[in-house]
Order: sequence, then C-alpha cells, then structure tokens
Amino acid sequence: MLENVIIGQYVPGRSILHRLDPRSKLISVFLFVFIVFLANNWVTYGLLGLFTAVAIVVSQVPLRFLYKGLRPILIIVLFTFALHIFMTKGGALLFQFGWLKIYEQGVVQGSFISFRLIFLVLVTSLLTLTTTPIDITDGLEQLLGPLKRIKLPVHEFALMMSIALRFIPTLLKETEKIMKAQMARGVEFTSGPIKERIKAFIPLLVPLFISSFKRAEELALAMEARGYRGGEGRTKLRILKWGMGDSILIAVLLILTISLFLLRS
Amino acid sequence: MNSRVVFLAEVAIMSALSIILGLISFRGLWAQGGSVSLEMIPIFLMAFRRGLKGGLLTGLVVGLLQLLLNPIAGAHPVSILLDYPLAFMAAGFAGLFSVAPNATTKQRTKSIVFGIFFGSLLRLVCHYISGVVFFGSYAPDNMNPYIYSLLYNISYMIPVAMITLITFLFLTNTAPKILHGSNKGVSSAA
Repeated sequence: MLENVIIGQYVPGRSILHRLDPRSKLISVFLFVFIVFLANNWVTYGLLGLFTAVAIVVSQVPLRFLYKGLRPILIIVLFTFALHIFMTKGGALLFQFGWLKIYEQGVVQGSFISFRLIFLVLVTSLLTLTTTPIDITDGLEQLLGPLKRIKLPVHEFALMMSIALRFIPTLLKETEKIMKAQMARGVEFTSGPIKERIKAFIPLLVPLFISSFKRAEELALAMEARGYRGGEGRTKLRILKWGMGDSILIAVLLILTISLFLLRS
Repeated sequence: MNSRVVFLAEVAIMSALSIILGLISFRGLWAQGGSVSLEMIPIFLMAFRRGLKGGLLTGLVVGLLQLLLNPIAGAHPVSILLDYPLAFMAAGFAGLFSVAPNATTKQRTKSIVFGIFFGSLLRLVCHYISGVVFFGSYAPDNMNPYIYSLLYNISYMIPVAMITLITFLFLTNTAPKILHGSNKGVSSAA
C-alpha cells in the first residue's frame, strides 16, 4: 500500500534555477501568481508564456515531471475552456450547429483563462521541482524573519517544518513495518466493508502514535542535551547566499511586472 | 525536561505523520474528486491532546507541508492560501473542545463529536470560499459558483469527517491517554 511512494517533487539537478537562492525563487513565484492576473490581451499573455518557457528551459527539468504536475488540472482547464466556449457570447459567430453557437469572444476568453491556469501551475511547480523542501523552509524562515519583531514564532515554526520533513521518511518506514506486522496477523487494510476497514486501522494507529510520541520525547531530550534554547543566536550549518543570479531574477520579474502594466488593455 | 521543546517536537512529528497518513486513502469509494484519507487524524489528535494551540499549529504545519510536497491547486493566490495553510489550521479549532485526561467516557465522546464536527465545518468553509473564488475567477460570468463549490466540497468533507469520527471513537476507548493527554509524560502513557 505504501511501497514506492515518492514524497515531494524535487528533481535533483545543477541548473541555474536549481542553484538560485530559495529566497529569490520564493519572491519571484509569489510575485508571479499575482501578476498573472494582470494579463488581458495576446501581448501580455505572450510575455507570460515567454517567461514560463524560458524558466522551463533554464531549469532543465525533464518535461514529463512538469506534465505530471499539470495532469491533475488539465481536466479543470478543459472544463473551463469548454464552459467559456459555449457560454461567453460576443464577437463574430465562428461556428453554428443547431442551438450550439461558438463566438469569437468565447474562444479568446477560454484560451486566456486556460493559459493563465497553465502558467500558474507550471511556474509554481518549477519552484518545488528545483528547490528541496528544506531549502524552501530555510528561505521562508529568512524572508519572514522580520515578523519575529511582532512576536511571531517564525524560527520555531521553521524548525517544526524541518523536523517534520526530516522525519517523514523515518515514519514512513515505521508505518510500513507496523502495517506488515499487522497484516501478518491477518488484518485486512484494503478490502472489506468500510466500517471494518476503519476498524482495521486502529491496530496500526495506536502503535504508530505511541512510537511517534516516544520519538518526539527522545528528540526533545536530544535537543535539550545539545543546548537547544530557541532561535536567539542560533547558527546554521548551511547559510543561504544571495548571488548575482538572484538579483537578475528579481530584476526580470520587476521588468515583467512593469511591462504587463504598460501593455495590458 | 523543557515542556516547550517537547510540544514543538510533538507538533513536528505529528505533522509528518499526517503527511504519511494522507497517502493512505480510501480511493476505491470516491473515485472522482477529493481523496478521502486519514490525514486529519494527527491534527485532531493534537487538538484533543494539547488543546487549541496544539491543533492550530499542527494544522498550519501540515497545510504548509502539503503545499510544499504535493501542490495541485496552484491556481489562484487566494485559493492557495485557503486550501492549504488556512484549511488545515481551521481543523485545529477542534482543540476548543478538548477535555481533561480524567474526563468520563461521556464527556470524551461529546468532545470528540463536537470537536470533529466543528473542525471539519471550519475546514469546509475554507475550501468552500476557495472554491467560490477559484470558480468565480475562471468560469464565465453567468455561472453560479456558490452551489457548485458547496456540493463539490461537501461530497468529500462528509466522508472524511465520518471516517475520522469513527476512528476517534475507537481510539478514545483503546488509547485514552494518547488521545486526551497525560501530565505524566508520554512514556507512562505508552
């Protein structure tokens, strides 16, 4: 049931995009998901498409990984495209079959909306495809650092994320082990009526929770023993470095934003 | 031992567990749209065990981890926020109903039923608003997003809530100390 699962989407690589500082990538993606909504004509959508295409080429991520990210929303894209084609009226009548009428405006609007969805998903997937979750967490911690002033526990939060990410593989193995042990005792996880199946999960959940809470306690003990005392003055093994490429990326995003403002109708 | 560090570690480990339980889903039953899985269990568990703060924090960490690890709906900035961090955090409000470890069976059952109902309802509200925003910004102007979003989100939220509820009703009998917390520490609870 849990064999061969891949958690996360990171595709290891050495491309420019992989090597960029997670902070610059986070800022760019954050900006991108907002400016996508500025586009409203062919030129502006063309610019967004160009940016997305260049980013994909630079990332050197094999296309099948991008397709995997895109697949779940393809149905939504097709559905909204169809809705727009049949329901948006305006412009010249392109096609008529009985009561079915397709207008120019419908096709245009449908394609715009589809492009918007596709660009959004591609660019956000590029972030998770080229950046490890732990790097994203580090980047977030740094970017949200100023919020510490208003007493938001940014450091503790990032630490919890990192611990969780670190322990996902460990706990996955543990879950598998307990599942196998219970299956050897005759527990059926995958068949039978729904109530029986839920009941079958109890002998999995109880040992899993007990061992997890034990693990948490041991971890806390280990942290204390090594002198963990919260975020104040804590140093890092890997320090994020803002390079030339990062400034260029931000500059490109700013130029893109300004162009969109100027060229939108 | 510093109880704050233990709390921190518990939230982290339970969030990791939620990601793993999210992989176990009853897909055979609800083939299309929204998967019905066990990922809510650790969030509610922390809510009942550690109160409101535990529930909210675990939910928030789970939501962000989901966003980092398997984002599918990167389709609208508002719906990204609502579908991931806020929705899971909202479930943590079940912590409002947590009871003391020495509560009677009846009190515990009541807290579980109300807690899960309330948490699931709040999560539903988040997904519902997200659906309205998403659908409203992509569908043609003459479509009604309100009913569509409600029906879609209810269709998986009810089974999720039911499965979680049944699991917890079993758990409160078999493992009350894990579920409702114990001031003696975990080792004695285990």
